[in-house]
Order: sequence, then C-alpha cells, then structure tokens
Amino acid sequence: YSFSVEGDAIKVYVRVRPPSEGPALADGDQGLCLSVLSPTTIRLHSKPEPKIFTFDYVANMETTQESVFSSVAKNIVESCMNGYNGTIFAYGQTGSGKTFTMMGPSDSDNFTHSLRGVIPRSFEYLFFLIEREKEKAGSGKSFLCKCSFIEIYNEQIFDLLDSASAGLLLREHIKKGVFVDGAVEQVLSSAAEAYQVLTTGWRNRRVASTSMNRESSRSHAVFTITVESMEKNNEVVNIRSSLLNLVDLAGSERQKDTHTEGLRLKEAGNINRSLSCLGLVITALVDVGNGKQRHICYRDSKLTFLLRDSLGGNAKTSIIANVHPGSRCFGETLSTLNFAQRAKLIKNKAVVNEDTQGNVS
Amino acid sequence: EKFRTARTLSAVESRKDPETEPYRSKYSARALLQEVKQQLSAAEEGGEARLLAVRRAVLEYELGVNHTDTEELSAGEEHLQRCTQLLEPHRLSPDCVSLYIQAQNNLGILWSERDEIKTAQTYLESAEALYNQYMKEDGNPPLDPSEHFMAEEEKLTDQERSKRFEKAYTHTLYYLAQVYQHLEMIEKAAQYCHTTLKRQLEYCGYYPVEWALNAATLSQYYLSKQCFMEARHCLAAASVIFSQAGQVPSAEDNEAEQDQQYLCQRKAEIARFWIKYCLNLLQSARKLLEDNIGELDPDRQLELKAQRKKEEDEKEKGRKKAVLFGTSDICDSVLAMEEKVSSVYPLDFQEAREIFLVGQNYVQEAKEFFQVDGYVSDHIEIVQDHSALFKVLAFFEEDYERRCKMHKRRIDMLEPIYADLNPQYYLLISRQLQFELANTFYEMMDLKVAIGNRLEELDSHTIKKINSLAQLAIKYYELFLDSLRNPDKVFPEELGEDVLRPAMVAKFHIARLYGKLITSDHKKQLENMQTSLEYYMFLVDYCEKYPYAVRAIETELELSKEMVGLLPARMERLRAKMYPFI
Repeated sequence: YSFSVEGDAIKVYVRVRPPSEGPALADGDQGLCLSVLSPTTIRLHSKPEPKIFTFDYVANMETTQESVFSSVAKNIVESCMNGYNGTIFAYGQTGSGKTFTMMGPSDSDNFTHSLRGVIPRSFEYLFFLIEREKEKAGSGKSFLCKCSFIEIYNEQIFDLLDSASAGLLLREHIKKGVFVDGAVEQVLSSAAEAYQVLTTGWRNRRVASTSMNRESSRSHAVFTITVESMEKNNEVVNIRSSLLNLVDLAGSERQKDTHTEGLRLKEAGNINRSLSCLGLVITALVDVGNGKQRHICYRDSKLTFLLRDSLGGNAKTSIIANVHPGSRCFGETLSTLNFAQRAKLIKNKAVVNEDTQGNVS
Repeated sequence: EKFRTARTLSAVESRKDPETEPYRSKYSARALLQEVKQQLSAAEEGGEARLLAVRRAVLEYELGVNHTDTEELSAGEEHLQRCTQLLEPHRLSPDCVSLYIQAQNNLGILWSERDEIKTAQTYLESAEALYNQYMKEDGNPPLDPSEHFMAEEEKLTDQERSKRFEKAYTHTLYYLAQVYQHLEMIEKAAQYCHTTLKRQLEYCGYYPVEWALNAATLSQYYLSKQCFMEARHCLAAASVIFSQAGQVPSAEDNEAEQDQQYLCQRKAEIARFWIKYCLNLLQSARKLLEDNIGELDPDRQLELKAQRKKEEDEKEKGRKKAVLFGTSDICDSVLAMEEKVSSVYPLDFQEAREIFLVGQNYVQEAKEFFQVDGYVSDHIEIVQDHSALFKVLAFFEEDYERRCKMHKRRIDMLEPIYADLNPQYYLLISRQLQFELANTFYEMMDLKVAIGNRLEELDSHTIKKINSLAQLAIKYYELFLDSLRNPDKVFPEELGEDVLRPAMVAKFHIARLYGKLITSDHKKQLENMQTSLEYYMFLVDYCEKYPYAVRAIETELELSKEMVGLLPARMERLRAKMYPFI
C-alpha cells in the first residue's frame, strides 16, 4: 500500500471563518478585509494596492470540517501509520477559529458532533487505519498507541494530564529525540479514549481574559500520539514508531516573540527587573555574523525546541492559519498571512524510520 | 495616600493576580489614579501652579504606563504625551528631568509596539540627549518621580536618587540598543549593548549569572568581527562575574537543587563560549597562514612573526581604547583571567597548542553538564567542536604521523556517537557526522599516501592501511548521499540549496577515492577506474543540466572535467596491457 509523496515543504492552509458568529459585528462593522479568489489564493483588501497571497489550500467560509480534515490532516495521519513523524499546527489570532477548526464547537464534548474538528477526526481515522492494518496482517502485526498532552505557558511546561505537576523539563534522548521528562503517557486503545483524554486535558488549560479580549488563550497546547507498530516476519522483528503532534498555538496577537513579530522592544518592565532580554538583542546581532563558528544559548524557545523535528527537520508538517475576515482584524490578518507565507519557505525532509532487528529466536 | 496604594497595586499586587484576570489590580490602580487626578484638579485654584503641573504630570505618567500595560495603547499615548507637555518647560530642572526621561522611554516602547521604530528612536534619542545635557549643566542627583507624592520625611537620599536616575538612563540605552538592532544598525546596537552592560556593572543593577551570559554572548559578536581582544575581554569578565554569583547555599530542598542545576548549565554555556573563542582564533590564524593548497606556508609564517614584533609596542595603546568592564578590583580579576589565553593569532605549533589546550579544557567542562543523556544535540555540538579543535591543530603539526593520530582521535570521538544516533529525530546532525567522518578518513588517507610516497617502496601494511581508510571514507560519503534519497530510495533529480555543495563534494571525493585504491589486480583496477569515472561524470552532467550549480563547486568541476577527459584513455591503456593480443 502506498501513497503519493508530495515533496517535503511544509504545507500551509488558510481557513477563513464566517464573521457572523464573531463579536466583531457588535458595533455594526460589516466590512470584510479579504476575499477568497480560488481554492489556493486569497486577496487582502489593503490600501492602496490589494495583496494576493497563494497557499497550498484556502478554505472559504463555507468549507466543511470534513473537507478541512481531508485536505489538511488525512495525508499526515496516513504517513504516521507508515513510520513518519507528523505535525499539525493551528495558528492565528484569538477569535479566528483555531479551536473550532481543531476541536469543534466549544460547548460540546460530544465525539459524534457533525461539526467536530480536525483532532477528533484524526483520532477516528488513525484508529480506523490501525484496525484495517490489523485485519490485513492478522496476528503478525501489533500496535501500541500512547499519548501525552502538555501545555507551554510562559516558557514553562505543564502536564495537562496531571494537574498536580509543574515545571517539567525538556530533554533529549539519542534514540528517541526530544521528550518532556516526567510527562504522563496514557495508553490508548480507541478513538473514544483519545477524545476522553483530550477533553480532560483541555479543561486544565490556562485561559485569560482582558478588557480587550473576551477570552484569550495564553498558552500553546501540544497533544502527542506515539504510534508503535511491531511486525514479525520470518523471525525478523520490525519495529516502527512515529509521532503525531497536534498543536494549538497561543493567540498570535499575544506573541511578542521576536521570531514571529519582529519589531517590538522588549520592556524592562518594573524598575527593579533586570534587563533580561538584552541577551536576545545581542543574539540577534550575532546571528547576522558571517558563517563563523559561534555559540548562542538563548535561541530556542521551549515550543520550537520540542517541535524542532517538525520545523525544518524530519517530518511531515502542516500549518492551518486561521483568519477572521472582519476589517477590524486587518492588522492581525495581515500578520497571520505573512507568517503563513514565511512558513512555506521551511522545508522538511522525511525519512522512514525502520529499525530492523535480526532477532533469531 | 491613594497614589501610593495605586502604585503598590500595580507594581506588587498585580503579580499575584489570578491568571484568568491578569489585569485586575492594574484596573483598580487605574481607578485610584483617576480619583487622585480629580482631587488634584479640584485643588487647582489654591496651590502653586508649577508644583501642580508637575504633580499632574506624574499622574499622567502613571496613567499612561497603566494603559500601555493593559494593552490600550492609544489611551496610554495620550496620557504620556500630556505628561511630556506639562513638563516641557521644566524638563531640565532636578525635579522633572528623571520623570521626563522615563516618559520618553515609555513613549519609545509604545511606538515600537506599533512597529514604528523610527518614531521610537526619536523619543529615545531625545531622552539620551536630555540626560547628557542635564549631567553637563546640573549633575546633582535629581528627584525621583515617586517623591512628588511623598511626605517630606520620606524623601530619598541623594545616593538613592542618583541610583534611580542612572537606572532610568540605563534603560534608555537598553531600549536604544534594541532600536538600533531593529534598524539593522548593528555596530551601534552592539556598542549600546556593551555600554548597557558596563553601566549595569557600575551601578550594581545586575544579576551576576544573567550578566555573565550576556557578556559572553556579546563576545560572539566580536568574534564574528574578528575582534579577539574584545571578545576575550567579554568572556573574561563573564567568567569573573559568574564566579561571584557564587555557590547557592546548599539547602536540601528542591528549589535549591533546581538553582544548582541552572548554575551548572550556565557555567557550561560559558565554557562553550570559550570553546568557540579558541576555535575561531585558531581557525583565523590558519586562514592567514595557509597557502593555496591549504598547507602551512613557512614564508608567510616568518613574515607574520616579524610583523607581530613590530606591533607589540603599539599594543599597549590599543588596549586603553577598548571599553573595559568594571571597577578596579573587578578589572584586576578580569585581567588575570585574560592572561590565561592569548588574543593574538598563533603562528606556530607551540602557540597553537596552548590555545588548543585551553579550548580542550573548556570542552571537558562543558561536557560535564551537557551529557549525552538528556542533552543529545548540545553534547554532539561540543564533540564536533572538539573534533574541529583537533582538526585545526593538525594544520600546525608538521609531522605527518602525528597529524594522522590527531585525526584518529577525531574518528574515535565521532564514530560511536554517530552509531547511536537515530536519524529519524536527528537527521541534520546525523548528516553532519557522516560528512565529517568521511572527510576525516579522507584526510587520513591523503596523509598515509604522502607518507608512503616518501618510502622507496610501498609495504603491504601501508597499502592495506590506505585502502581501508579509503573504503571507510567512501562508506561514510555514501551514507551521507543515501540520506538525501527520498522514501522510495530515489536520489533527487535536483538537489536542494542546502545540500548541493556537500553532495557534490561527496561525489567528487568518492571519485578521487576510487582512483586512489591500490590493487595489483588489473580487472579490479579497471572497475575502480570505471566507478571513479561515473562519479566524475555525475558532476559534469549535473552542472550541464543545472548551470547555476557551477558556482558552488568551480574547482571540483574543473578537475572532474579533466578526469572525464583523461580516464577513458588510461583505461584503454590498462586494457591493452591486460589483453595484449586482442
């Protein structure tokens, strides 16, 4: 069984949410700041010249959850079954429909809801594929699925499956790559179980409200499924393992991260606080250096470190950039589209991990 | 009284706000400030006009900061603007200058949040100018903004006032450093970073560990500019200040253990900065000294030695020009630290070895923290640096046997790590290791050939050695090339920009290696020549198809073309020798 390999670049999808449900309409502001021209292009009504952006796929307001799933995630879940690592990111400002796209309607914990999002659908599909493989291969092949669910808030890592834990550390293993030391791993045997774990963890997320935003998520949430398959074939045991990361990023408007936003001064804040970000400034100076040997110790944020393989590493990765079409959101929409445009430049190389152990028993 | 509550509310209480309502205290502080403002305007009739204006400015300032803190920029801007307007006529007087500067600082931050860096720059530069003017014309410790609502007996001492004032100005410089960085005025940004660090040290406004890391990072900027003296100074200061951070009292509880962990990591980071310093110094020296085939050029060596003698006298003068860190006692420790490693280019093996040894010591220190278990990529990077140190040291070594042994040391450290590494997660590192291992075997083979050429006749031991080194080099180059294949094991039609040069070099080196394999079996030799030819052909064909690739591998391409011309004739001759009767 095979599937087509469509190059290695990160796939970037843009989804436009319908404005009607949003709070932006309250003040009678009906104007839209963009229009979808074709399934791959979007026009932003900027002044004086409108800007055209091209992506791998643009979902307009009418696009169904099912069709978003099949164009964004289906392929990645399939790859995951074949031993590749895969990652799906949702990016965008608060209120742009990230949670709806990834989870589904917020008021329902219902796994069968027809509006359920990419994550539950990925679960269903993954376990559907596993069942099918099992039937095909009979007793020769077995699967083990585990999941973990963590949150990165203020550069600290919390385990959403264990609300008592705090401040976990990221570590690396020479065979297993980056992992969160001490994170709870739960064994999964069905999609329903996975969904159960997800909803429990989701309730533990940190959410904040300000007078500007009704509700704004301040943290990144990373749900990771490890799929391990073991196949016995004439005394040779073939083990494959792969990761599927489902990432809900914090609202992009809150990210004062230099990598995404660029032009903002880091505040020293209270007079007693030290100027801790000076290092970042210096780092930026050094980065411009001319290919000389150098060491930078500030560079990695926790999120990029955890997902290093997914960003320009060795995995299949998709980004769903969510935008709100209202003209009030013009600034954020522009910056989201610019971010998505940059993400397209990142290239990934996918390599099958096949660890053949010649066990003659 | 209300003013004070508001200040504590926004400074202290706000840190304890629940995460669901991050700005609760800020909002109540704001309400209080508004009240004070009302009361003040009610009192407007009575008091002295100037005093009132200043007090109102303080309130506007606090309100402005409050609004910007809570993401309401335009309201914040209005308040801050009003504050500066109120102060404009008195901005050089001791009771206003500090407030005025801080208001300008905040306007700078505000405009930068709107991505209007140029506007931010004007505010900050005018704050800088005001500071300089005030220090020139007055220079007495000015009033701190918080004092305007204080009772007489609470007022600050001159010392405290001066400290706060200097701190506000340090912030101006710090913001300017960022502004210049965003405007890509790199040199100026670096200079402001440097000055900020220096001022932090002078006015004790720093955390030792953080300061040390910042200074150490700054050294990397100087390295990229080949300013080894400045780089060394930053690093020495970093080490000195770090050592002052001292031992955390070894309490048993968990927190102390985490702090200890943190300190150890920072110490290892600083060691890694030193490694880069040694490496860069050696590599730059190598660049100066190598001839056109990458060997040590003795004429150049003599020339540079003579030149150095001349410069030695001048050196003292240059030393004084650089910005030095610290007051006298820190300065002494920094100088002592600097003594331990040279900042001038090493010109012979002895000098190079001294720098190498310092670097190697730091390698050990860094490895103590960055162990494979838990810090795979950091650990490997350190090992790679260690290998690079050996590589550049080998350049200075004239004895080929000993040079070969140094490369062997590189193999010994790289090979086991490569064997363990899972390329599913560490593809890039894995490729780097494959390539470096291949290159090292390749270099060793070249050295063995050179040693063999001095002998009258190649003995079987040397032949065996040469062949096995060549085979190993080929093996790792092939592994590297295989890593470029797609999942269906197909080699890419067109190579990505990042791997173009290494892939081509790998192909070229494999071609050469097949040419070097020694065998008495003519048939085998013919086969090797055929393989070699195919690899050379690959380069030539590829560049024909993608002409832009020529730039990346000009020399290699030229030699390949030559070989593609020569090899068939050689093979013909060999065939004729093998089958003389056909």
